[in-house]
Amino acid sequence: MNNEIDDAFLREFLLGKVNDEERGRIEDLFLTDPQAKERVLGVEQDLIEDYLEGTLTTADKERFVARYAQTPEQRRRLRITQSIKDWALAEAASSTKTSGWRGSPAWFGFRPAFFIPIAATAMILIVVGALWLSRRAEHAAIENELAQLNSPSNPRTGPVAAELSPVTVRGGESQAPLNTRSSEIELRLLWIQKERHPGYQATIRRVGERESHTVRNLQPESDGKAIRLRIPVHFLTRGTYQINLSADGSASPAEEYQFTMGG
Amino acid sequence: MARDFAIPPESFDEILAWFNPDREMAAAMYVQLRHDLAKTFLWRQCSDPEGMTDEVFDRVAKKIRDVRPTYKGDPRLYFRAVANNLVKENFKKIKTQIALEDADLTKQQISQTEAADAEVEECLHVCLQELSFDKRELILAYYAKEKQAKIDHRRELAQEFGISVETLRVRTHRICLSLEQCIERCLRSNGQRK
Repeated sequence: MNNEIDDAFLREFLLGKVNDEERGRIEDLFLTDPQAKERVLGVEQDLIEDYLEGTLTTADKERFVARYAQTPEQRRRLRITQSIKDWALAEAASSTKTSGWRGSPAWFGFRPAFFIPIAATAMILIVVGALWLSRRAEHAAIENELAQLNSPSNPRTGPVAAELSPVTVRGGESQAPLNTRSSEIELRLLWIQKERHPGYQATIRRVGERESHTVRNLQPESDGKAIRLRIPVHFLTRGTYQINLSADGSASPAEEYQFTMGG
Repeated sequence: MARDFAIPPESFDEILAWFNPDREMAAAMYVQLRHDLAKTFLWRQCSDPEGMTDEVFDRVAKKIRDVRPTYKGDPRLYFRAVANNLVKENFKKIKTQIALEDADLTKQQISQTEAADAEVEECLHVCLQELSFDKRELILAYYAKEKQAKIDHRRELAQEFGISVETLRVRTHRICLSLEQCIERCLRSNGQRK
């Protein structure tokens, strides 16, 4: 986005305080430039927060309400944002209390009465450690299998099981459950960003679970508009899976996809 | 806004072809443009953004055969121009004056009922489980402070990640967007069950 358009100016735009020409310029950028769009939406998010925190001036509050709290859908969105903020504040407050307790020197006073619990804890830690090592080996084996299956040198054998759009695209989240008798499924992940990359990495995670598996060096199709991902079926159980796709080596997820495995 | 005209399939195909020769890409652009136009209508205080978006596509569909061969530039800008004209035509109908006491009333309406709040909270907890641990932690950290304290806090957070505050905002906004979509789906599904 043009550097002369700063956050303060975008805030004026969102509150309807700019003239027609300036509004038109920002709307043009919003419709055609993905980076500009994200920036406008980010400033809008800040504005919503300020409203919910009660820090807008009286005049800005009136302008805000006229634009963001007129319909039941808009008010529901504000309620949702409020609930996310409330949750985060409550969690932060409880974690501060907890860390205060942990940090207290009296808690770690080394008294004989603590020997037995400490020994028991050590035993549990050893067992947990052994389990962790075993799971880590299993995790490495799955990632190795994924890497081999998706290696550019490994020829494709079956049809594409599903074509997935990013969840940020409306309708991208809806997908009929997949069922297959094949030993693997092949997904075609549509890449809608203008920026193309020579290689991609996908991180797959079953919704509700922490464990994830990453496949690197995924090659885009020749026109760069889709990336194919193959997953062994024995790795999947019934449920919803989430895939984060980004440029190879990038730390931040660029697009998110979802699919559901049937029974 | 009532629709008196459905887009004929051939016009719809032509709109898609105008967006992009690749039909998949064009379809994604169509969905995105509908969403974005509705957003611009909201910013301009239009009471029926979805209906007005339909109207824009209807109007473009009627003229596409004449416009497309001669129009130079990004077609989305043509749609914006049509949207702009539509807003001007409807200006008197859509202009909303809101008094301060109404603004306060509306703020109360945000937390309309305890039951609605409880439903949102229930769905929030379901949807938080769908987020990866890292994303959940990021949202938690981002919203951990309010008012003036949040500015310094987010600056520190961005430094920890080695990114700018703006990039941090974009990243959390994306996560929030998917969280909001999940909550909306959850609320709809709970509503259907009742």
